[in-house]
Amino acid sequence: MGNKTMKLDIKKKPAIEKLGGQRFIVFLVVVALFLFFCALSPNFRKYTTIISILDYSYYITFMAIGVTFPLITGGVDLSIGTGLVCYSLIGGYLITFKGWPMLAGLAVCLVLGIVMGIINGCLIAIMDLPPFLATLCTCMINRGLGSIVVGGFGISWPAKGAPGGWFRDIFKIDIVDKLKLPLGFLWILIIVFIMSYVLNHTKVGRYTLAIGSNKEATRLSGVNVRFYHIIAYAISGLFAGLAAISYSAVFPTIQPGTGAGFELEAIGGAIIGGTSATGGAGSIIGALIGVFVICLLKTGLPFIGLQANWQQIITGLVLLGAVLVDILKKRKKVS
Amino acid sequence: MVKSMGEVILTMKEIDKSFPGVHALDHVNLEVRRGEVHALMGENGAGKSTLMKVLTGIYKKDSGTIIYEGKEVEYHNTKEAQDAGIIIVHQELNMLSHLTVAQNIFIGREFKKGLGIDDKRMNDETEKLFQKLNMDIDPRQLMGNLTVGKQQMCEIAKAISHEAKIIVFDEPSAALTETEIEELFKIIRDLREKGLGIVYISHRMDEIKVITDRITVMRDGTYVGTLITDESTKNDIINMMVGRVIYEEPKTKSAVPEDAPVVLKVDHLNAGKMVQDVSFELHKGEILGFSGLMGAGRTETARALFGADPIESGDIYIEGKKVIIKNPQDAVKNGIGYLSEDRKRYGIVVQKTLTENTTMASMDDYMQGIFIDKKKEREVAQKYVDSLATKTPSVDQLVVNLSGGNQQKVVIAKWLTRNCDILIFDEPTRGIDVGAKNEIYKLINQLAKEGKAIIMISSEMTEILRMSDRIVVMCEGKKTGEIDISEATQENIMNLATRDIG
Amino acid sequence: MEKIKENSFVKKVGFNRIVLFFVMILMYAFFCVATGGSFWGFSRILNLLNYAYFLGFLSLGVTFVIATGGIDFSIGPVMFCCALISGYCLTSYGIPMPVCLMISILVGIIFGIFNGYLVAYWSVPPFIVSMASMNIARGVASVFTKTQSVSWPQSSAEAGWYRNFIKIGNIPVGLFIFLLMAVICAMVLNNTKMGRYILSLGSNKEAVRLSGVNVKKWEMLAYVICGLLVGIAAIFFVSAYTTVQPGYGDQYNNEAIAGCVMGGTSMAGGLASISGTVIGVFIIALLQEGILALGFTKDYQLIITGIIVIVAVYCDVIARRRKN
Repeated sequence: MGNKTMKLDIKKKPAIEKLGGQRFIVFLVVVALFLFFCALSPNFRKYTTIISILDYSYYITFMAIGVTFPLITGGVDLSIGTGLVCYSLIGGYLITFKGWPMLAGLAVCLVLGIVMGIINGCLIAIMDLPPFLATLCTCMINRGLGSIVVGGFGISWPAKGAPGGWFRDIFKIDIVDKLKLPLGFLWILIIVFIMSYVLNHTKVGRYTLAIGSNKEATRLSGVNVRFYHIIAYAISGLFAGLAAISYSAVFPTIQPGTGAGFELEAIGGAIIGGTSATGGAGSIIGALIGVFVICLLKTGLPFIGLQANWQQIITGLVLLGAVLVDILKKRKKVS
Repeated sequence: MVKSMGEVILTMKEIDKSFPGVHALDHVNLEVRRGEVHALMGENGAGKSTLMKVLTGIYKKDSGTIIYEGKEVEYHNTKEAQDAGIIIVHQELNMLSHLTVAQNIFIGREFKKGLGIDDKRMNDETEKLFQKLNMDIDPRQLMGNLTVGKQQMCEIAKAISHEAKIIVFDEPSAALTETEIEELFKIIRDLREKGLGIVYISHRMDEIKVITDRITVMRDGTYVGTLITDESTKNDIINMMVGRVIYEEPKTKSAVPEDAPVVLKVDHLNAGKMVQDVSFELHKGEILGFSGLMGAGRTETARALFGADPIESGDIYIEGKKVIIKNPQDAVKNGIGYLSEDRKRYGIVVQKTLTENTTMASMDDYMQGIFIDKKKEREVAQKYVDSLATKTPSVDQLVVNLSGGNQQKVVIAKWLTRNCDILIFDEPTRGIDVGAKNEIYKLINQLAKEGKAIIMISSEMTEILRMSDRIVVMCEGKKTGEIDISEATQENIMNLATRDIG
Repeated sequence: MEKIKENSFVKKVGFNRIVLFFVMILMYAFFCVATGGSFWGFSRILNLLNYAYFLGFLSLGVTFVIATGGIDFSIGPVMFCCALISGYCLTSYGIPMPVCLMISILVGIIFGIFNGYLVAYWSVPPFIVSMASMNIARGVASVFTKTQSVSWPQSSAEAGWYRNFIKIGNIPVGLFIFLLMAVICAMVLNNTKMGRYILSLGSNKEAVRLSGVNVKKWEMLAYVICGLLVGIAAIFFVSAYTTVQPGYGDQYNNEAIAGCVMGGTSMAGGLASISGTVIGVFIIALLQEGILALGFTKDYQLIITGIIVIVAVYCDVIARRRKN
């Protein structure tokens, strides 16, 4: 009996819903943007451009995947942008100045991320601080901390060929002379797959969604709401750590004091991909697709003669646009 | 009816619980046996839900003992109570609208498969459960897409799916259709056969007679007595429930003069599912009662009329003139005031003073240039404190510190200050003590006498019969009838309120 | 203790604010001692005031927004945007000084309208709006100035008269202007219809709406007032520090919010104190200058301000928990 009703429902759904709704539309937007830039700029139609789009995409994608969890709970994590820079600075400092082995440096990034995530989670889940305010503060703390540890100077992680430089191959490997293979995208796909599973088929994901949907009802169902709320922020922190590694691997130098605004790109990507700014719903695959809208704009705009500053404005507007679409959808549903 | 009442499984003795300003439970007793359906009855605010919340650990009791399966127990949260086998189906829905039905039913106790959750097994189990209960709901549906009635059935299914020994149903039928109620009763009889103890909270007399074995009656937070259903009449129960209030004679004749002008005319009003084609007239000096079950669309009608929710179609005439009401500002400009059933959320700003709340809707009259004339403001607040006999140390008191009845008076003062001619009272005495109730009744009568036109939405039959000059009955978003007070009885109102349309 | 709280003067001024005032005095004394006396003296106080002016206007502005239960952490970058655009008009287009000052305020107001409209009329969560307009402000400023920093005229220059807003000779005119503005803000918040509605809707928006009040309009106006004050803050910033660089300004968000929340304005909305904000701002300014005077870098300022905001908001959370 139940099966019958379900089949009927699927039939009733429009074709777009079957293909993944908003995600599919956004995917089309990504393709359209790509073709648009290709058509307008011959320089854009190069393999190296695609590589550089991917280079930009890694750290934003990692952050977007992570921040999807706090967003689903109805909160936000603004500390990931400066967090990324802070972890990368400290990790790089320990490797280049203190002689730590590469693996330990990478581990430091992840551990710092998780610790900061847990701190955020405690401030929000246990101390009841508003998420944007708590993470705004830790955002500033991250910035100060990174700068203090390295003494205010830029840090360069080992270059390709140098001892420890192998870590850069994780994301981009030379196969034959000058032809680079964007290995990082493979890892991204694997991680998207894993986190999609975590979100949809594990307790952590299920309770994250439940908290965003109705925190009190979840608590009354006997779920340890605080624990899972903290876990959501810890995941966000862990992915900021991963983002720090990919950022260090892709860019030659990391400057203290930067990183503000990265979180906007990540949160924008997640929301464009269909994660609700008011919580309760989200998609990891959507975040991946959404990030590419941002990355294409970021890399493509200079090709058509718009300076990088325009990209800040457009990212802001795109984020607002995505949120407005979400709000309009909800209004329609209510009436 | 087979009587197979077993031994006592739960005893609540001398339970006492106070909230600031309210003595919610005053030494209340309750005894539940295995294999019985025990009704817990009483008017709104009698303390039924509070008692159940004490049982399941949502509230901590001040004193008294709970003995469950022979042992004294005290639960600190619902999880502990759940694990012990006491499940409550809440009146307010506790659903997670973004998750599927199966995910809702198994929240907090998912089946595991490796590291993940076995959703397939959860769906299968839910389907089995629904088949057993004869429910036709797809476990993969999102909870938010179901009707309120179906959501309620899912909540019930969730409760049953636990290894329960006691299930508390808190007004389960309020949102259910006739057929759904029949299904529910089948389920409950089944559970009784299995030897569970059922607590059934309701104030629908007919249901109580059909489904329950014993009845415990509460009134104003006190224990009145326990009856055996088969040996008691409706009147016995009503008398115990209502106590002295019923002796305040019900109105028998409309107090409105024949030639009283029509102040408000609502013509074919439509606003969403809950307000379909509603038309009525309201006269000067009249109290028009709105009766119906929970979810009948009375509040929605009032909110649409007041511009709080958007109107889809229909005309509103005030004193013969057609008016357009798009938002509450328009309504207030046209002299309509709305007193919500949920005062704390929709009526008052609790963290502000009595004065500030009183002039909230009529700031423009209390300005001197660009500044607020605070002296004048306090004067009018004081005036209404005196005339409504609001109990407060001063007009500067924060409203949060006042009792429910006095908060209601502040809301009334707000609309009187604004000089509204049409007042919509939505459950005017919900959460108010009996003594204060009478004062509110007197006040409403007096307002009508002074020529205000009043709409009074109420779920309490006695209140409707006592106050109204005329009664509009609604069911499932439609108006099903209009009765003059001289012809109104509980029966014919109830008939209209449960009339199944199309 | 209870006796002190019952005292009529204490009651009127507010116990918390008196405590805060003494904290300020103690902090000043501490920095004087810790820096070996170099913190002491009139010129140091003038420096301190320079920091307090622009921060004070930001803080006053954000107090209105927080009173509605919202937040605006685009104020720092928007202030820079105001200063950059108006400064660029002045230095590159030769637009006269008074017009440029107006432009600064106008840019602030435009951002206020933008933020307020999205929050009030479209129900976009305030933090999203802040995040977006923070980046838009940065982008607009960079695009407008072609990523150049802008230097406002020195006091000796012909157009340098605008610096008289902060001091004439050694008279701290800015202090009087700031305090006057604080008094006006307090009047608006406590004695006008706008203030009454802003505070009430911060406490319970739906109840105010159902009283027939146009809540969307008043909520948006709170953001507009904030924008106006941010525009003024920009003028005081350049009066004190002359040069503005695109891409900065976000650290002031936290400092302004810190001053506001420390002064007793509740993050949950509905409760705001202008006098508290004023004292809070002085404490923050004192702290920032004090940290530098003790020989620490700006980075320590970031960390300490972050911790202060967390503690202040947590105090507010505890106070609310107790009430319920």
